[in-house]
Amino acid sequence: MVPSLLHPPSQLSPAAALQLSQQAPAVLQSSPSTVSASPLSALFRTSETPDLWAKYENLLLSCLRTGDEVAARQCLERLVARFGDDNERVMAFKGLLKEADAQHNGDLDRVLKEYDQILKDNNTNIPITKRRIALLRSMGRVPEAASALVQLLQFSPTDAEAWSELADVYFSQGLYPQAVYALEEALILAPNAWNIHAHLGEMQYMAATATGAAGGSYNKYMAEALKRFTRSIEICDDYLRGYYGLKLVTSRVLKDAVKPTKQADEDEFTLPDTTTVEQLNELATAKLSEIVRHYTAQDLGWRGYDELEVAAARELLSKDGSAIER
Amino acid sequence: MTWISKSITVFGGLLLAHACYSAQEHSALQSLRASTAALTSPSPAVATLPIDIAVETVVATLVILLGLVLNTRPLRPIQWRVWAGKVEREGEEGFIDSSGEVSRDYIGNPFRFLETRPGFIDIRKQRKEFADWVKNGGERLGASAGAGAQ
Repeated sequence: MVPSLLHPPSQLSPAAALQLSQQAPAVLQSSPSTVSASPLSALFRTSETPDLWAKYENLLLSCLRTGDEVAARQCLERLVARFGDDNERVMAFKGLLKEADAQHNGDLDRVLKEYDQILKDNNTNIPITKRRIALLRSMGRVPEAASALVQLLQFSPTDAEAWSELADVYFSQGLYPQAVYALEEALILAPNAWNIHAHLGEMQYMAATATGAAGGSYNKYMAEALKRFTRSIEICDDYLRGYYGLKLVTSRVLKDAVKPTKQADEDEFTLPDTTTVEQLNELATAKLSEIVRHYTAQDLGWRGYDELEVAAARELLSKDGSAIER
Repeated sequence: MTWISKSITVFGGLLLAHACYSAQEHSALQSLRASTAALTSPSPAVATLPIDIAVETVVATLVILLGLVLNTRPLRPIQWRVWAGKVEREGEEGFIDSSGEVSRDYIGNPFRFLETRPGFIDIRKQRKEFADWVKNGGERLGASAGAGAQ
């Protein structure tokens, strides 16, 4: 199925992005090259729709990704013709085009200086601030990116996307407690985001296992991860990622035979007793196998899952099955 | 199921048309009788609709309503977890409207942007990844996708 041009294309596979960017000539031809903003012309011509501009933006992103700069430039020209050079969103797209064009680090430095100049004139330009952070990160200057993000969040603390990016920056540096904190902030802003609950659970699971954290913090992270995964399947039925994480965590807890420690702190969430964990593990196994079975049979109403995710679930189940046989 | 509901609607329409026709005939008969009666006696005739026509009209309306209600598409889930589960389980397929297109307000998981973060995209990395994908045998796939698009 050809992906829709109305949604941001950043999560698409390369093949889908290519398909989108191949639509570029047709889309550019079928829509008028300039749309006048004057109210008089709206009387005589069919009015513009917001969809058109969303299409141009997404087309621009796909074309940049696939290296079709001619079409990308055309999209940008139309956006500029409609919204003007000083529109913040358009400025960010212009910067993006320059970043994509940059051949070596000198060019990137120049783009960065332009961003700094724009921010000196107007330091509340959020799209450009975000581009600057992304560029810093892309150039490998991660600490600077992190501090710029913290600054951005100081004057715009309700930006869930920025909190999520901050979590990712910290996570890439191995700073698990900070990453968990930032993602919790994003969750406060979007409490129903089931994928973020699962993502936080994954982070906490990694924090518990990767660092070899001893004793208390291991228990704490495991308990938190368990809580997050159960929450994600509470607000989303048949959520593959949530059940996958739940199975990972409960198997690990059962294998390590972690004893639920009595915490003095009332607010602290502790691991439930072994029978509950076993029941959760059984539930996750049953649900995962149900999902895998239905997806493999291509049953109606079960085809929406990601193929790679289902394959991972199948692998996890088969690993578990062979462990039982032994 | 649709043919049942459609035939119920058509049947209700026939009943309603019949009721209308009966009412029209009745009033024509009444006025004829009134004009002839006026010649004999001065008291005006009271023109009331017979009860069976009134009942038929009401029943016809109810039958039409039943047919229309049966013909509606299944309602969208209103519980958050059920709806979210539908998004995850069925994807686009679960949100196809009567014209066979994916419904316009379908956006998948609305919180996906928190993980993809379009405001912070690293375009250079994406370009490099795409170039690598093309180098590693993406050409063949891309060619077939291009043929499909044309």
